[in-house]
Amino acid sequence: MAFLFQSILNGILAGCIYALFAMGLTLIYGVLNFVNFSHGELIMWGAYFLYFLMEKPLGLPLCAALLPALLLTTLLGVGMDRAVFKPLRKANALTLLIAALGLSFFLRNAAQFFYGAEIRTYGFEIRRGMRFWGMSITVNQVAIILTAVVCIVFLYFLFHRSALGKSMRAVSDDLELARVVGIDSKRAILSAWVIASALAGVGGILLGLDTNLQPGMGLINLVKAFAATLLGGVGNLWGALFGGIIIGMAENLGVLIISPGYKDAIAFAIMVLMLLLRPSVLLGRGRD
Amino acid sequence: MLEVRGLSKSFGGIHAVSDCTLGLRNYAIAGLIGPNGSGKTTLFNLVTGLIPPDRGEVRFLGKRIDGCPPHEVAQHGIIRTFQLTRIFPKMTVLENMLLAPPRQTGERFLSLWFRQGKIRGEEARNREKALHLIETVGLSHLKDQFAENLSYGQQKLLELGRALMADPKMILLDEPTAGINPSMIRKMIDVILKMRESGTVFFIIEHNMDVVIALCDWVFVLDNGEKISEGTPREIQNDPKVIEAYLGV
Amino acid sequence: MDFLLHLGVLIAIYTIFALSLNLEVGYTGLFNFGHVAFFGIGAYTCALLTLQRIPFEVSLLIALAMAGFWGCLLSLPSLRLRGDYFGIATLGFGEIIRMIFQNEVWLTKGPMGIPGIPKPVLFSYRFASLPQYFSLTLGFAVLTFLFLRVTLRSPFGRVLRAIRDDEVAAETLGKNAFRYRVKAFVIGSVFAGLAGSLWAHYTTFISPGDFTLLETILALLIVVLGGQGTAWGPVIGAVLLILFQESLRLLRLPAEWTRYLAPLQQMIFGALLVLLMIFRPQGLIRVKGKGSHA
Repeated sequence: MAFLFQSILNGILAGCIYALFAMGLTLIYGVLNFVNFSHGELIMWGAYFLYFLMEKPLGLPLCAALLPALLLTTLLGVGMDRAVFKPLRKANALTLLIAALGLSFFLRNAAQFFYGAEIRTYGFEIRRGMRFWGMSITVNQVAIILTAVVCIVFLYFLFHRSALGKSMRAVSDDLELARVVGIDSKRAILSAWVIASALAGVGGILLGLDTNLQPGMGLINLVKAFAATLLGGVGNLWGALFGGIIIGMAENLGVLIISPGYKDAIAFAIMVLMLLLRPSVLLGRGRD
Repeated sequence: MLEVRGLSKSFGGIHAVSDCTLGLRNYAIAGLIGPNGSGKTTLFNLVTGLIPPDRGEVRFLGKRIDGCPPHEVAQHGIIRTFQLTRIFPKMTVLENMLLAPPRQTGERFLSLWFRQGKIRGEEARNREKALHLIETVGLSHLKDQFAENLSYGQQKLLELGRALMADPKMILLDEPTAGINPSMIRKMIDVILKMRESGTVFFIIEHNMDVVIALCDWVFVLDNGEKISEGTPREIQNDPKVIEAYLGV
Repeated sequence: MDFLLHLGVLIAIYTIFALSLNLEVGYTGLFNFGHVAFFGIGAYTCALLTLQRIPFEVSLLIALAMAGFWGCLLSLPSLRLRGDYFGIATLGFGEIIRMIFQNEVWLTKGPMGIPGIPKPVLFSYRFASLPQYFSLTLGFAVLTFLFLRVTLRSPFGRVLRAIRDDEVAAETLGKNAFRYRVKAFVIGSVFAGLAGSLWAHYTTFISPGDFTLLETILALLIVVLGGQGTAWGPVIGAVLLILFQESLRLLRLPAEWTRYLAPLQQMIFGALLVLLMIFRPQGLIRVKGKGSHA
């Protein structure tokens, strides 16, 4: 029984991280109406930027390196938009998608170029977890959950209590109309990228802290983020949160039944199930 | 021929079509008018299966077609055009036309390999018919142009020609003369009148009253999603309810 | 000379792979980003069967059938999706298939891969030497090209293009868009399986690492480089790409450099894809159609 609770706890932990991924993905989707196939690489580079800052020659401690790492990730995200997606704002869906795919491929191999394909970690010793109610949880993991909660609370205030949030929601609803009414869509778009990249960065770092780093980690987390987005309703920020938690739980409970080699496939299976059972979820933002 | 009974559709609280009932019998050309937002295009979308109705029935030649997907409605013999033209941009005018005939043998993948002769024959016949129709709508000189290179008016004519090519029992035209110049409008009216002789039934959404008077045997008037009147063009022009709908509130 | 033949074989195989992707992406407008899955299914099926002493002709046919079957299976739930979603669904599927290759060790020998795939024997003729294998792959490439050309020029192909251009309009003309999409997807998958089978018998050793997103990216690059929706586009694209990829071998760089070379090369591919989409999405070949694009 304790085993079950532990799995649930692990599920919540993973779920928090996935929620951050999904919220970033759905934010971009909401404002620009396309699924950013490179979002996984933002996550991955978020983790690697921290690694870069923490290892020699810079050797910064975790606390000092966090903010710069996030800053770098945000720069990458905004840079992605400026360099690739902005010129393609009016392009058709396929062109945009292929460009995003190419970009993701470029970024993934850039990581492999600099850091090789081996698995790396941040190098923190594995500490004994605190035990309560038969479950074990380390300080790191508590920090992860807290960080995720802080981000989510911050997002809530940003979206529902600030002018910026309001304009982002307006742009998300109808870009043309928002422009006509005088809302600064450029600022809203920029803000969306900044926030989405920051979320991806935080998520990536948390994931790296909890597990490890490797260049391919972007792709599979993109699929999970997307599955979570579908679960919660595309374009729906809080739905993405909910979806992320569900995916995290499903993964950790699922491996109690199926082979661990397929853990990553659980998210995909959920996604397929969603698509089969609730196709109406997709019609939310269709053109036509 | 076409019967709509108690058809209703709402979009999140807005009643686009509300308990609409109308019947097209032997009119060769029927019109559908009403102020902006009265639900005319939505009605077309409901009839052709693009959106499912909340309530009500649609019957065509006695058979129920509400709830059928668009391709099935088309196979029953109802073809439609769109307010903002939907031609196939990266295909030529001729190819646009050749797509229209239903149940072509060459469209079945397996037939490609076993029925070459039959397909060739069909293609030749369809080509001839297409060229003839292209001439009728006056686009012969453009037959090998990509449809996206045509002017708006020419695209509307192409859409009309393509609909005719499908040999439909009934054609639904959604504002065929909107946004095109008067000489094109004249051309379109001529084509429609010509095709009426071959027995095709038309149901036309129009804003241009001159066109309605010139073409329609019978007119239905919608306002706020409901049918408020029907009659000959002259009758509804003088109908106080109709006048109020266009001028009022 | 041997090197040229080697290039030729690769070009032929990748042409088949790209032509099949072109059918789906360029002609029907399906964003299939998991195409490599069917390449892999064809490769593994054909390899495993021929290793069981089943004649190549039969193995190949079964491999094609398997690829087509899985194509059908994947497409049925996912083809109802809008473009981006379909893209992610297929991307995910590609990854899942790779995971299956990796995990089902009893079937695929997992990460250790399958060595010793025999040279194919077609109608009692053994294609063992390089020139012989080249003619085999060339033959299949030509067959594929002709087959697809006939298909795309037919009324069937016309409907596919119409669905790509405007699915709603096609539906209102009586075409069941979903059914056509499934058919296009299955045909594409079958030919991807063909390419995979030929590849497996060429390299004689396959492992799950051969069937990653890289292959799909390469195929996409080939398709967009040459021009999506054109017949010769994928061929030209394949020639250019394989020339580029393999020419690096000629340079005989020191072994330590390969660690950097492979990702660098792939970075170039990724960047190329992005640049192409921004500056020349229609590819190198102009589609004939009187007058420029609007």
